[in-house]
Amino acid sequence: MKIKHLSLVLLTLVLVFGCSSKEKSEKPKIAVVVSTLNNPWFVMLAESAAENAKKLGYEAKIFDSQNNPAIESDNFENLISSGYDAILLNPTDSDGSISNILKAKTAGIPVFCMDREVNADDAATSQILSDNYSGCVSIGIEFVKELKEKGKYVEILGLVGDNNTWARSGGFHSVVDKFPKLKMVAQQSGDFDRNKAMEVLETILQANPDIDGVFCGNDAMAMGAFQALQAAGKETKVKIFGFDGAGDVIEKIREKKIVATGMQFPIVMAQTAAQYADEYFKGRRDFPQRVPVEVELVNAANIKDY
Amino acid sequence: MKKKYVYILVFVIIAILGYNSVYFKKLSVVKNAQKENFDFKAYADSIYFKGILKSKKTIALTNLITSVKTNQEAAFKKYGNRLGIGNSAYFMIQSTGKIIDIKDGVYTIADKKNGIVYIDTKYIFGNALRDASGLVKLTDFKTNAQFNKVSESLNDIVRNEVIPKEIKKVQIGDSVSFSGAIKLSKKQTLFTDLLIIPSQIKLQ
Repeated sequence: MKIKHLSLVLLTLVLVFGCSSKEKSEKPKIAVVVSTLNNPWFVMLAESAAENAKKLGYEAKIFDSQNNPAIESDNFENLISSGYDAILLNPTDSDGSISNILKAKTAGIPVFCMDREVNADDAATSQILSDNYSGCVSIGIEFVKELKEKGKYVEILGLVGDNNTWARSGGFHSVVDKFPKLKMVAQQSGDFDRNKAMEVLETILQANPDIDGVFCGNDAMAMGAFQALQAAGKETKVKIFGFDGAGDVIEKIREKKIVATGMQFPIVMAQTAAQYADEYFKGRRDFPQRVPVEVELVNAANIKDY
Repeated sequence: MKKKYVYILVFVIIAILGYNSVYFKKLSVVKNAQKENFDFKAYADSIYFKGILKSKKTIALTNLITSVKTNQEAAFKKYGNRLGIGNSAYFMIQSTGKIIDIKDGVYTIADKKNGIVYIDTKYIFGNALRDASGLVKLTDFKTNAQFNKVSESLNDIVRNEVIPKEIKKVQIGDSVSFSGAIKLSKKQTLFTDLLIIPSQIKLQ
């Protein structure tokens, strides 16, 4: 009888301690949902977010939405059912991603947006975003000065469903549109993609061979524009401006082949998002809805600092 | 029996009148509509004339430089404004000096206490004035686009209305008092050749 009681007590102890040690070994899981892994800039953002989450002691996995809100929606459903505890999100669409964020919110999972803003201030727990507008105001001023306030130019936009596209375009035009001798001869989307931007500019150049400048909504497209202009033998005549601070564009600025870019800090955004998730797990709830991250103008005058 | 029908009729009339006189809308819809119809020009007018021109936060440039050199962290916290994360902040300053050159809208000022400073009367763009004023919070607006519209309206007032009138009255050799926004970086160690986005330039 005593042996029976003892074995029951031992079994209970094994069960209790066994369960508690399992709980301890189960780290909270953080999902990094990124708009695309087809662009090195977003790869860096996603990997940096996952790395920072791991450094803070959490499990982290990257999900690729392939620039498609429907795939992003599937990703959200999968990770909600898989028991993820927080989401670091780089949204595919400023409106289309809201419902996904709200699904996670309903499931009690905090969502921290990185780099791209969604058009709602009550969905994400916090949004850590590049100050695209201010960055492109600086580029706009540089553009006007470089073109000496006159000439024809082309704007290659990013994805039309992305707020960053319009924040950048808005900052740029808030300056450039005040100079009436600067004429925009074409404005088309290059989807933030190098090859698409190259093709778009090649087509535009056929109808407008005498342009003086190109403003691109990101550096991948600036590199595509450079290729198109190089193929047309116009790369020394047409002034190119990008946005991101990508390594290849920084080199082109050093070689005086691209005029300027806006340096973003994806690692800072990723680090802040992971840090916020950590603080959320520890009980913090009062997060600022939007946290702008400074963008720095990089041009020939300060290229030595980069 | 007839009375009963009269009561029903009165009730129906009251119900119809009541239904048509009260409308229920989602608060979020109302708030969005308010922001869409928001008068940014009037708001910026009030920020400029009632806020920036009367602000007690404006600091003498020489005092700011001394404070930053003494204790950068404390000076940035007390006098500067940085929204979010970054190495720089905007400050609203005032000073005096003599105009020694005017070129392409940039007024070169020999400031007795601070050396040469530049006032850019042409490129009054971006968030410098809005942020240096510290009068507008990010949370006051639903989106960054709306928040940036405040800057555009404020810049329009200063660039198109205020500064053109004021610079008509001044020329090279004049002594002026001026106020405006400057951007300082935490990495910055030199405080010469500062560029000021003006909010006011007055002949002394």
